[in-house]
Amino acid sequence: MTTARNDNVVVRSLTQIGACGLFLLTILAAIPRSFRHGRETVRQIWFVGAMSLTIVMTCGLFVGMVLGLQLYDVLSIFGGTSATGTVVAIAIYRELGPVVTALLFAGRAGTSVTAEIGLMRATDQLDAMEMMAVDPIAYVIAPRFLAGVVALPLLAVVFCAMGVFGGHLVGVTWLGIDNGTFWSNMTATVDVHKDIIDGVLLKSFAFGIVVSLIAVFQGYTTPPTSEGVAYATTRTVVASSIAILALDFVLTSFLI
Amino acid sequence: MTDDAIVRVRGLTTVLNGKTIFDNLDLDIPRGKVTAIMGPSGTGKTTLLKHITGQMRGDAGTIEVDGENVPSLSREKLFELRERIGYLFQNSALLTDFDVFENVAFPLRQHTELPEELIRNIVLNKLEAVGLRGAARLSPTELSGGMARRVALARAIVFDPALILYDEPFVGLDPISLNQVLLLIRTLNHTLGITSVLVAHELAAVQKVADHVYLIANGKVVAQGAPATLASDGSPWTAQFFGGKIDGPVPFQYPAGDYATALGFPGGKA
Repeated sequence: MTTARNDNVVVRSLTQIGACGLFLLTILAAIPRSFRHGRETVRQIWFVGAMSLTIVMTCGLFVGMVLGLQLYDVLSIFGGTSATGTVVAIAIYRELGPVVTALLFAGRAGTSVTAEIGLMRATDQLDAMEMMAVDPIAYVIAPRFLAGVVALPLLAVVFCAMGVFGGHLVGVTWLGIDNGTFWSNMTATVDVHKDIIDGVLLKSFAFGIVVSLIAVFQGYTTPPTSEGVAYATTRTVVASSIAILALDFVLTSFLI
Repeated sequence: MTDDAIVRVRGLTTVLNGKTIFDNLDLDIPRGKVTAIMGPSGTGKTTLLKHITGQMRGDAGTIEVDGENVPSLSREKLFELRERIGYLFQNSALLTDFDVFENVAFPLRQHTELPEELIRNIVLNKLEAVGLRGAARLSPTELSGGMARRVALARAIVFDPALILYDEPFVGLDPISLNQVLLLIRTLNHTLGITSVLVAHELAAVQKVADHVYLIANGKVVAQGAPATLASDGSPWTAQFFGGKIDGPVPFQYPAGDYATALGFPGGKA
């Protein structure tokens, strides 16, 4: 009995992953057609990107500040507080920046995309587009998917900048680390290719694909009921969070 | 059966979740006429419209629309066909991102490169026809159910399609709006020769506008004819449906087990 239930869960999960993969292929095929709806894509970039700036900047600042505080505390044991800037920067660029931004993005933008598409499904708006010979994959789904893929790396860059600023604020302004030491150690250690391009941009690009795909997939396939939309929104956060952290490990093991 | 039919349904059989919706259904929609499809709730009237537009596919049978067999059409061909079909949804299905004007303009913007001035004139013309030109800049959330339906109607006719499918067009309309919509359906039919298919329950409204009525029940056409005479054709189906009787060939109760047994009384049927 238990085995059968577990089998069902496994089969259901694999079916969902398979369906999600096929949905990605459908979106990719629709992207050229979605270019004629360029304004819609720009509008979505504004909605999921610019509208997420406040939460990303605020969280980036506090993550950097708490990181600076903790590292100063630990490094002072070894007399290595001058390395605070370096460790803050590397921790943020390689891991915290892309991962936390993606988690915030899933919570802020992913859920709203899922709920919006789910409600469009529940109120027959997607069917109405089909009846007006407008492909909802090209008009609704692809622009939101593209917007997430474009916006997330940009948000991750902003998060990282705010994080380093937060680390500087605590380390230099508050705790008295020398300003020149903070920056020079950081710039001497941080590698543009390994830490910025691979660490921030590549990872957040991959997370952008995964989170956006999960968000639009959950919205598009949601049962057309209020309960269905609620579940789909929750699943977006849960599935995105697991996918981000698992993918982060896989990417890091290849990139490190 | 009609020689010049814009929609020709033959042998349509559809089973959904074990329930037979259509059982070898044959039906013709004559070109240039107003045809009403009536029947008890849950009998598959909206499902039939969805088959005609290719939103759903049956298990067997053919559905020809303007000479093309809908179930066998590719997605591209289906979209080309749908550009010639207007569809009024039961719940209006207005796009909530746009105001009333942009909802009506949406099909024009998607499928044409018309100059803005011409789009504006066409949209205002359609909104004037449904009496809502003054509501052009309202959001769909600011409209009553009846107003939303009239906006959806304006959107459905914005291309002056060859065929318009109305799913419950009279629900939620006040008597003035109802007469306006009836007049509009008739005018579109008379002046532009647009074929109309109505799914409706309101016999009085149907009698004013329809040329032909199909009564569907148990997956088949059980009666058909002119609306003025159909109600009194003597068939038990029409007598029950138009007379609003509980007893008759159409079961009022959804299929269920023995009532006494369900209530836990002894002696119920096993």
